Amino acid sequence: MTFGALLAIAATRLHAERRTIAYAVVAAIVVAFVQPSGLAAPLFFCGLLGVAVAMTQGPGRHRHLDLCEESAPLFGRELARAKALAPCAVAALVCLAYWGAQSLAGFPASPLAFALALAAVVACTLVALSATIRSGPARLLYLALACATSAIAFALAFYLHSPIAEVLFCCVVSLVALRQYGEALARYDPV
Amino acid sequence: MLLRLREARFLARGAPVGPVNLALADGERAARVYGEAREASIVALMAAGIVKANAGSVLIDEYDPRVQPVHCKRVVAFVPHDPLPLDLAGFENYIRYRAALWGIDRAGAWAHARLLLERLEGVHEAFAYPLAGALISSPKLLVLDRPQPAYAERILAAAGARAVFSTHTAEGAAQRFGARPRTALLGVVPT
Repeated sequence: MTFGALLAIAATRLHAERRTIAYAVVAAIVVAFVQPSGLAAPLFFCGLLGVAVAMTQGPGRHRHLDLCEESAPLFGRELARAKALAPCAVAALVCLAYWGAQSLAGFPASPLAFALALAAVVACTLVALSATIRSGPARLLYLALACATSAIAFALAFYLHSPIAEVLFCCVVSLVALRQYGEALARYDPV
Repeated sequence: MLLRLREARFLARGAPVGPVNLALADGERAARVYGEAREASIVALMAAGIVKANAGSVLIDEYDPRVQPVHCKRVVAFVPHDPLPLDLAGFENYIRYRAALWGIDRAGAWAHARLLLERLEGVHEAFAYPLAGALISSPKLLVLDRPQPAYAERILAAAGARAVFSTHTAEGAAQRFGARPRTALLGVVPT
């Protein structure tokens, strides 16, 4: 897969969801002004926004884009990477918006807190992506796993005071989730 | 043989589809009529290698889409039934997106697309853009899911000498995309 194809898929998906992205960023800024201190609020709220944005990548919402991507000569894992790039970019943007709003509200968070929140939100978003191509109990299970990812990441960072463990955990979960999503996309029938 | 479906069935989700039998050589045309839109759509998706048959076999240019999906998708171009949502992007952006997905030179793709769009004069943009986008990769086989019968002449002119397989829900529509045996292409009168 060329870098151009990766960027084209991500950019087209971001363009198609530009309104959702705007709402997510505004929501993050508003919540950051309401709850500007601490790690829990950015981690859980931005994680929730990440799950919502991931769910918008599901089949049916942009049927023409789905069919274009599925008819293109790309392997499932390549398509998964490209499709995951858009919600991950939104997750990063939302975290950045929250972090910026915290500073404006007079409770500037450290860059470490931003990195911890970002790692957890990206992992949570990638787990939620697998829910988009499943239905029924399997979809609920993946959504529950996404929430559990945020909770475990928070526990590692806040209760165990181990930022390295949190980042490592999030990296492992992200890689496994992305691989799982790629495998599922390769077998997926868009009917 | 460019496309061969032998007892191909789709059994997942909803009423079973098939068995479908079809053999299409280079330059030939085939139009099939189905009772329901869902059935016509699934058969077109199977012929394009996007949906995998649960039973029987589908071979596209002697490649099996279950084993070599990327090879199959380099041979086939698929045009969905639904019109392209025009808020998606302008024609140039759309062609750039398709060219990136297929790894085609952008300038060449744009020139080719302009030429195709001229041949599709009179066809509504929402139907002309996906067809031009599908043909820029110069596929050997064009698969059309319930194409608009009113544009049959223009669509077939744009497709040129390549093989065309279309699915329909009305006999009249299928006749307009009618069969063209290879012998006719070679100037031999079939006996």
